[in-house]
Parts: sequence; C-alpha cells; structure tokens
Amino acid sequence: MSTFLKQFFTWWNGNQLNFRFHLWRNAEKVGEDEFGNVYYQGGKDSEGRPRRYVVYTDISEPSLIPPGWHGWMHHKTNVAPPSAAYEAYEWQKSHRPNLTGTVSAYRPKGSLHHTGERPRVTGDYDAWSPGE
Amino acid sequence: MKTIKVDGKEVEVPDHYTLLQACEEAGAEIPRFCFHERLSIAGNCRMCLVEVKGGPPKPAASCAMGVRDMRPGPNGEPPEVFTNTPMVKKAREGVMEFLLINHPLDCPICDQGGECDLQDQAMAFGVDSSRYAENKRAVEDKYIGPLVKTIMTRCIHCTRCVRFTTEVAGISELGLVGRGEDAEITTYLEKSMTSELQGNVIDLCPVGALTSRPYAFQARPWELQKTETIDVMDAAGSAIRVDTRGREVMRIMPLTNEDVNEEWISDKTRFVWDGLRTQRLDRPYIKVDGKLRPASWGEAFQAIADKVSATSGEKIGAVAGDLSAVEEMFAAKLLMESLGSANLDCRQDGTRHDPSKGRASYLFNPTIAGIEEADAILIVGANPRWEAPVINARIRKHWRATDLPIALIGEHVDLTYDYAHLGRGAASLSDLGEFASVLSDAKKPLVIVGQGALTGDNAEALLAKVAELAAGEEGWNGLAVLHTAASRVGALDIGFVPGEGGKPLSQMGDMDVVFLLGADEFDVTQLGDAFTVYIGTHGDRGAHHADVILPAATYTEKSGTYVNTEGRVQMAARAGFAPGDAREDWAILRALSDVLGHKLPFDSLQPLRAQLYEAVPHLAAIDSIEPADVGALASLGAGDLGTGEFTTPIADFYLTNPIARASAVMAECSQRFVQGALQQAAE
Repeated sequence: MSTFLKQFFTWWNGNQLNFRFHLWRNAEKVGEDEFGNVYYQGGKDSEGRPRRYVVYTDISEPSLIPPGWHGWMHHKTNVAPPSAAYEAYEWQKSHRPNLTGTVSAYRPKGSLHHTGERPRVTGDYDAWSPGE
Repeated sequence: MKTIKVDGKEVEVPDHYTLLQACEEAGAEIPRFCFHERLSIAGNCRMCLVEVKGGPPKPAASCAMGVRDMRPGPNGEPPEVFTNTPMVKKAREGVMEFLLINHPLDCPICDQGGECDLQDQAMAFGVDSSRYAENKRAVEDKYIGPLVKTIMTRCIHCTRCVRFTTEVAGISELGLVGRGEDAEITTYLEKSMTSELQGNVIDLCPVGALTSRPYAFQARPWELQKTETIDVMDAAGSAIRVDTRGREVMRIMPLTNEDVNEEWISDKTRFVWDGLRTQRLDRPYIKVDGKLRPASWGEAFQAIADKVSATSGEKIGAVAGDLSAVEEMFAAKLLMESLGSANLDCRQDGTRHDPSKGRASYLFNPTIAGIEEADAILIVGANPRWEAPVINARIRKHWRATDLPIALIGEHVDLTYDYAHLGRGAASLSDLGEFASVLSDAKKPLVIVGQGALTGDNAEALLAKVAELAAGEEGWNGLAVLHTAASRVGALDIGFVPGEGGKPLSQMGDMDVVFLLGADEFDVTQLGDAFTVYIGTHGDRGAHHADVILPAATYTEKSGTYVNTEGRVQMAARAGFAPGDAREDWAILRALSDVLGHKLPFDSLQPLRAQLYEAVPHLAAIDSIEPADVGALASLGAGDLGTGEFTTPIADFYLTNPIARASAVMAECSQRFVQGALQQAAE
C-alpha cells in the first residue's frame, strides 16, 4: 500500500506514475549499468539533442551513475557503455557512489569515528611524564 | 662630509658613504640584492644601477661607487645622480629580467614567499611578463648542514652568504664555483658548515635559496604573530623576534640592536624553538612513595606547606636557574626572607661573584659595543665563541678592521681569529711575556674573564689581578666578565646570593627544603635527601630529582626583566601562553606564599615591579646600562692566584639549558658538531 502511495506523493522512491507513462511513450531503453540503473533515450531537449533519462533501481542518487554512463548522460559523448565503440580506461577503478552521510564515509585519522592518532596541529606539545 | 645632489635634492653625507647610502639618505629607494651594510661590497647583482651626471653614458652600480669618487660639476657644483630617470628604470627592468631568466617560478611552494626580496622587487621594479620561452637552468641542491636547507636553483648569486661566512662567521666553508650560467654556491666537498652563526645566512639570502631546515613548510610569514623580545640562551641578551602561530612558537628571528647583537644571533637562539614544545611540564606533580604522580595545584602547595612548617628558616634554601627572570627571583627572595632564610644562591657554576664587592666586579664593564674601542684584548678562561657567539663576532669584526693584538689564557680553541696563546692556567696570568707590555701600553685594554676562571678559592685574587691588568686611561674600565647565563647578572643585582649567615649552593645538602627556580645546571644529587621543590618548565635534571614539581613558563611565555652580561636591563615580552596548567613563575610564588602563611605583598606584575624598582632602582631603566663604579674594584683582595687550569663551563654549546636539551635540532647539532668533532680529534 505504501509503495502504491509513494509513487504519487514522493519523487525519490522511484519514478512517479506519469513519468513512467512519459518514458513509455517517448523513450527507448539504451542499456543498464552494474548497479541496475536503466538508461533511456528519446525526444529532443531544448538544445536539440536527444533527451536522456535514468531510472534508478532504488533511491534516486545521481552519484550512483558510473563514469561511462555519466559522460553519456551529460552529452560529453554519444557512445554509451553497451556500444562496441566504448572502451574503459585500464586505470579506471570500479565505481563507488558518494559515501557522505553513510557509515563508510571518510573520516580523518584520529577523528571521533576513526581510530589512530590525529596529525600534529599548532599548539600541540609533548608533556613530560616522570616515567616509572 | 660631502654634498651630493640626488634627484635634484641636495644632501650632505659622510665621505665613506657609497652612492647607494647617499641616495637612501636623500629618501630615494634603491633596489639591491648583493649590497649589505655589514658585509663587504661585491657589486655583482647590478640591481642598484643609477645615472651619474657627467659620468660615462651608462648606468653606474651605486653600491660599488663611493661618494668621494664623484667629480663635481665644471663650476664646482655638487655631483649629481638620478634614480628616477628613464635610463635607470630601463636598467632596473633589464637586470630584473636577466635575474628571472633562471629563477624558478615556485613562489607558492617557497618558504621565502611573502618575505622575499626578489618577489618584492620584481613587483616594484620589474616588467610584468617574461620574454623567455627557453628552459631554465637547474642546480643540484647541496647539503650544508642540519640547520640550513638549500634550494640552489633559486640562487641569484648575490654571494651574501659567502661574504657572511668568510667575514663575520670566520669560516671559509662556502664559496662560489663556476662562472656565468654554471656559477654555483657550494661548500666544495658537500660538508656541513661548522659555525655557531650559520643561521644568519637564512636571513641574508634575498631569495629562497637558503632557508631554515627545521622551519621548512611549517608556516607562512603573514600568518605569524610577531613579538619583539630578548633572547636568554646566552648572557648577551640579543634582540629577537619570536614568531608565533596561536600558542606555538614557529621560529625565532634576530632584530637589530647595534649595542648588542648588531643583527646576528647564534644558532642556539634561532633554532631552539622546537625545545619549547617538548618535555614540557604542564601540571604539578607530587612524589608519593618514591614515584611522581600528577596532582592539583592545591595538593602540591599543601605538600610544600607541610614540609616548610615542619622545619625552620635556616633549613630552607633556594637556587635560581640560568633562565630565570629578575621578577621571579625577586619574589623568591622576598619569600625566603619572610620565611627567615638567607640560603639563596644563583651561581650554579660555582663561581664566587659577590655583589658586595661592587657591581663592577661582575659586569662586562667596557660594554659589548665598547669592544670596538679596545686596542688590546686578553681573554682569560673563556671561550667566547661558545659562551657568547655574537660577542665573539664583535671581537672578530674589530680584529678584522684593525690590527688588534689578542691573547688568550685557557683552553686552546679556534676562536675564528688569531690570538697568542699564553698558557692554560692562572700561572700564566702573572707572567704574560711580551703581551704584558702590549697590555700596559694600551690606552683601552680589554680583559675578558670567563666563568671558568672565576671558580675556586682564588677567584677573588684572580679578579683583582685581572682588574689591575684591565686598567687603562682615565674613564676606561676594561674588566669584562663574560657570563654564560642570562639570569646571572640580574640575580647578582638583586642580591640572590647567600645573605648574613646563609649557605651557598655547595652546602645546600644540609637543607630540609630546597626550592629550585629552573635550576638544572648543577649536580642535583648533592641536595641529598632535602625535600626539593622544582619550579620550572622542562623535565630535566631538577625535575627528576624533585619531590614536588610546579610547572612554570619559559622565556617566550612570560614578561620578565633580564640583565645581560654588560648590565643592560632588558624586558622580555610574552609571545604565547604556557601549556596546560603551567603558570608564570612569579604568580606561582605568590600563590605558594599565601599557603605558607607569608603572603607576598603584590597581586600582579606591576606592584611586584614597583617594589623591585624601589629595592634596586637601576632595574627601572629599561634598555640602558647603569655604569658600575670602578673604584669598588680596589676592594678586591689580592692574593695567591693558584695554579689551576681554566676550563670553560660550557661542555657543549648546543646543550646548555633545559630548553636546548629538549630540542631535537640542538641534539642533532650537538651530535654532528660537538661529538663529531671530538670523534674526529680522537681518530
């Protein structure tokens, strides 16, 4: 029931009903990335280029789009990763979405959520201790 | 005096002035890289070009041309120079362009960035763009020691460093090899410089070719808070600027004080700052069951009060350290007096200075600037190169300028100038040989006496003998006592020595309670079982022996008066705050006095100083010297000089106080320059 209502009242839990209708009418599927996001293309945007769409598997999070598809989405290239002309660079690492706000977010060494000693800063001093 | 016209403005300048100095006098700014007032003239950067009227039709290097070389006009008009003509502007732009051909554009990662002469002058006198697309030359970096870092590609070959090391520091270890594009500054054999003044080349270098190695990439000049204060590493009292970021001292630079350090400081003064943040005492400690444990101020004071109330005044003693300011020693003296104790001592090195013999008996009477008036110098039992490097540089300066006869009695060491070695001990003092007539003929003889000569029972007789040798013409007092501790003269001025019936440091073992004001330079085991209260800054010898430790402030963390070896009263300023629970020394003594039931009559520094000035009036005259009465020297009892050999009290220049011993940089210097030299000598 909640899933049913969400498609009318939220935009971040998958697509709304009338977008799905729009997509069905105007676009055709181009491919799918390793995270399960599906890419579509169809129609023309204001600059006369083909309009490109992404339908996220789960939550709408643009940083989930891997670099190959990112270039295609932003019209930097017309070669989408499924095409034969696409070639990933040898140094390219597997894509990770932005982790900010998650438990695996970056924490500097010595911060409250990380172990280790924090780097030396201005005002630090080494106190003498009597030893044993 | 000679009259000269600069840009149409007539000025009168001394004959020995260069054109550059004359132009400065007239208010015209002349850019320069190689010219430096205290070094010889090289004339190789060509940045100071000016136009000379009636001269050859080309610009002249104003630093290398004297005012007396200038010809007057046909009708006897004063000679004329111009610093603002199109010719001069074009010449400066051309020179700057040449300098920048090979200078890397790495200002964003250069430690000199923000205080760079080349940067400033390129902005003021250069052109805005480069016409050179060719590759820049690159020069290999040289290792010239643990203190000075080189990035030789940046060098513009002004040779200031070469001239400084040869002329002022007295070591011929830096030089320029190659010509034209292949010119390089080098130590020839990639060895480190061995001078106590080598840090000054960092300030002299107009670009970032020579920078401070410990300070590398630590801070930018514009983010530092600058505090002008006084150095306490030796008894010269050099003027320094302490640069802090937040609470932390980032570097120490020299200031100009013509009467003391000119503009040089020793390496210990300059590089000791990393010792200010290691081994710090930041909370009080009490010894419980043989082990020190952290305590609160209240507990620590109570522990002291218990011990003090269980004993009587004559069983309580106090020893002042080498870095103590006059204020805290005065407060300690007042406290000891109210406790009924006369057992005070500041002479950790075992000397026999006695303020009752007159102030002249323990001052560097001729003053440091007065060295340049002397016409003969005898050094007795001192190694000025280690005990006060800037004073040694002053002697060397005078020795270079005149044909100054110098003789030494004591250890045969390299002082960077020639001297006659008359002997090692007191015996040579009564038999000076040929030097006796030199000294007696001299109008202004100067006898420098080190602390090494003034220990032992013959000290007074020896001082009397030296004072006799140092007598010159009317109004000249050549007796120059060279102290090694910044606090010593101040302590003697306020009388921090055993009073009526008081015991000196050597007999402090009999005491029940001993207060150490940062005193680390003596054998603490001689205190025996005495309950020791250590008021200090670093975990050093005193702290290891202490029963109660009270954390105090270092010289950069408190405002305090210091009196240098010539009797000059100077005020040190606070650059930052002491770490943790540490407090200023006088405040600790004031708080302690309340718990002991002998409350000291002041609540802040001002009333304390007012009392101090009332007791010792000359301390109120900051930055001046109260001349000591020469007549009092006659009261010194002559006697047997003894036969002992003189040894300098400084075993290791780089490790003379708790701050220096905590410094990693000083430890490395000691390892390399002192231990290394000893090892080489042994091989």
